[in-house]
Amino acid sequence: MTEARPYDDLLKATFPAIVQGDPVCGESSHFQVPKDLLPAITRYLHTQPNLRGRLTLIWACDHRPVRDAYGLHYLFTLEVSHYWVVLSIELSGNERLFPSITPHIHAAKWYEREIRDMFGLIPQGHPDLRRLVRHEHWPKGMHPLRKEFPWDRVLGRQQGEHHFRRIEGEGVFEVPVGPIHAGIIESGHFRFSVAGEPIMQLELHHFWKHRGVEKLFEQQMLIGAVPLAERVSGDTTVGHSLAYCQAVETLLNLQVPRRARYLRSLFLELERLYNHLGDIGAMCNDTAYALAHAHCGRMKERIMQLNDRLTGSRFLRDVLRVGGVTRDIENRQLTDLVDELNRIQPDFSEVGAIIFANASLTDRLETTGILNEQTAWDHAVMGVVGRASGRDCDLRRDRPFAAYDELPVAVALYRYGDVRARLRVRGDEIHESIRLIREILGKIPDGPVANEPSCSPNPGDWTLSAVEGWRGEILYMVMAGEGGRIHRCKVRDPSFVNWPAIQWAALGNIIPDFPLINKSFNLSYAGNDL
Amino acid sequence: MFRIIKKSLKIGVVTGQYRRAEKPALPIIQEAKDKTKLFKRSLAIREVDTGSCNACEMEMNALLNPVYDAERFGIHIAASPRHADALVVTGPVTVNMERALKDVHKQTPDPKIVIALGDCAIDCGMFKNSYAVTGPVERHIPVDIRIPGCPPRPAEILEALSELRKPTV
Repeated sequence: MTEARPYDDLLKATFPAIVQGDPVCGESSHFQVPKDLLPAITRYLHTQPNLRGRLTLIWACDHRPVRDAYGLHYLFTLEVSHYWVVLSIELSGNERLFPSITPHIHAAKWYEREIRDMFGLIPQGHPDLRRLVRHEHWPKGMHPLRKEFPWDRVLGRQQGEHHFRRIEGEGVFEVPVGPIHAGIIESGHFRFSVAGEPIMQLELHHFWKHRGVEKLFEQQMLIGAVPLAERVSGDTTVGHSLAYCQAVETLLNLQVPRRARYLRSLFLELERLYNHLGDIGAMCNDTAYALAHAHCGRMKERIMQLNDRLTGSRFLRDVLRVGGVTRDIENRQLTDLVDELNRIQPDFSEVGAIIFANASLTDRLETTGILNEQTAWDHAVMGVVGRASGRDCDLRRDRPFAAYDELPVAVALYRYGDVRARLRVRGDEIHESIRLIREILGKIPDGPVANEPSCSPNPGDWTLSAVEGWRGEILYMVMAGEGGRIHRCKVRDPSFVNWPAIQWAALGNIIPDFPLINKSFNLSYAGNDL
Repeated sequence: MFRIIKKSLKIGVVTGQYRRAEKPALPIIQEAKDKTKLFKRSLAIREVDTGSCNACEMEMNALLNPVYDAERFGIHIAASPRHADALVVTGPVTVNMERALKDVHKQTPDPKIVIALGDCAIDCGMFKNSYAVTGPVERHIPVDIRIPGCPPRPAEILEALSELRKPTV
């Protein structure tokens, strides 16, 4: 905390009109900002070389019925110290307009459109005010996250058509793909504008799978919403439930036993392991390298069967709870885990060596789908994709959670930002995960695995929690309501941030390479659409 | 190239290395079996995701890995509904996917069967009554078979599919 002062003082000296609030959680500062100053302050935070604030999250909150106001909050992570700065503005009474920061900060684009759809607040000066979550057939005036909107309302339907950005000219044609794709993947729409072979423009049209997750959270109790968090994105079950549990534990002022924190790290690494193994295989498959795909699929299956044996769920469901974990892992099972790792590690090393020595595979992967560092920074890209584009960020090291304060993590970092770099990052992280699991098994202390919550939080208290899932940073903002309920829960899967970046990575590539690029990002549609 | 072939030979056959599932949790009705009889011993499946959390998709993908290898039973994945005998639908049907699901059903040539995979597809699971969800799959298209689970294990999916195609005495 001592380090933080210079930033606070710097901001207060530059913008005397801002008011410092209570810190929200851990290493962070919180400021109330006058509405009209917001663009200037965010721009300053984002561009100042000694701050370099990366826009990490924007969320809105309807404060009714407590008071007639909407709160808007902007979370920045300072690049130098990974310190959090939260800026808040408030719209009271009938105010519906707030200043857009998108003209200065690209990364704000989808957040502001989302807020417009979900709350009906309008970002003034936003360059693109088309609907994002609400598809055009939703009737006018439907803003689900407003408090007066009933969670089980039947929507109805109107006529409407989505307008894509058009490139016109001789020989330019459009290729629509989706929402239902050829493989077994989720639903989303891609619109390519192509002249000859190279992609001139790619536009995403997502949110087909919008299930109203954030509204459903508001119907739940703080303690009981873990199963819903697990189902935000099935392949990130542990990541999401861990982020949710941590947020609630901060609100309840609940300590998690040390053994439970180690077990949480263990489950998170197991999740990373099976997903990365599957992704490497899938990327090989998209280059028609079926043998490598088969080997990776086999190893992934082994880990998932191991998960099943350890916890009774292949996806590690019902494993985490508020206050700890639901079941202990016995020593007998730990031996099984070690045996499995002893088999997987040389197995994967061998397959990895074969894959990276394959010239035709390298030829397909290198220089394909390049996301350069500047674009990655502009769109606040993080996680596996960010680390392949030279963005050195990993919450396990930068803002340690679970047991990572006692487990130093070596972060894989590559600069080229092509498909091969993303494959490389995954390969390195598999080795690192195996090493971490071994370290966890060596250090894991004995003791209880859960604490019972004793107090209930004050209505209106809120907190943020962040977890480095296998895709990247998962963020949860949880605000407590009356009687231990949830007033507002903002969920942010890394996919929501990384999806727009794929539009830039695909430029200049040919359409047949797009599945490969998409696979190398491997983003969640469910976690994005919510 | 020789290295990976050598590796494959060294590993040997892994197919079938999984715990068998018990009988399908929900019985498969005779009517569905009769419908399936027409497809003889092959079944081309088109998977449609109408709002699942993607765990069901992962288990469908797992069916194709060397361990489960559904192709040995003549089950394959068609890239287009027009090539499919069966639709596998996962997830509660969201308002945004409702039209797409009906379209896909229309595009699948008759005769066809519809399989609702996972708790969400059967009764919306955790997402029941949400403003963004229009109801379970059977509200929009007729469903022949239901495979429950959240998500169902690949072994359970295989078991249900083989039960479906078992010749009736």
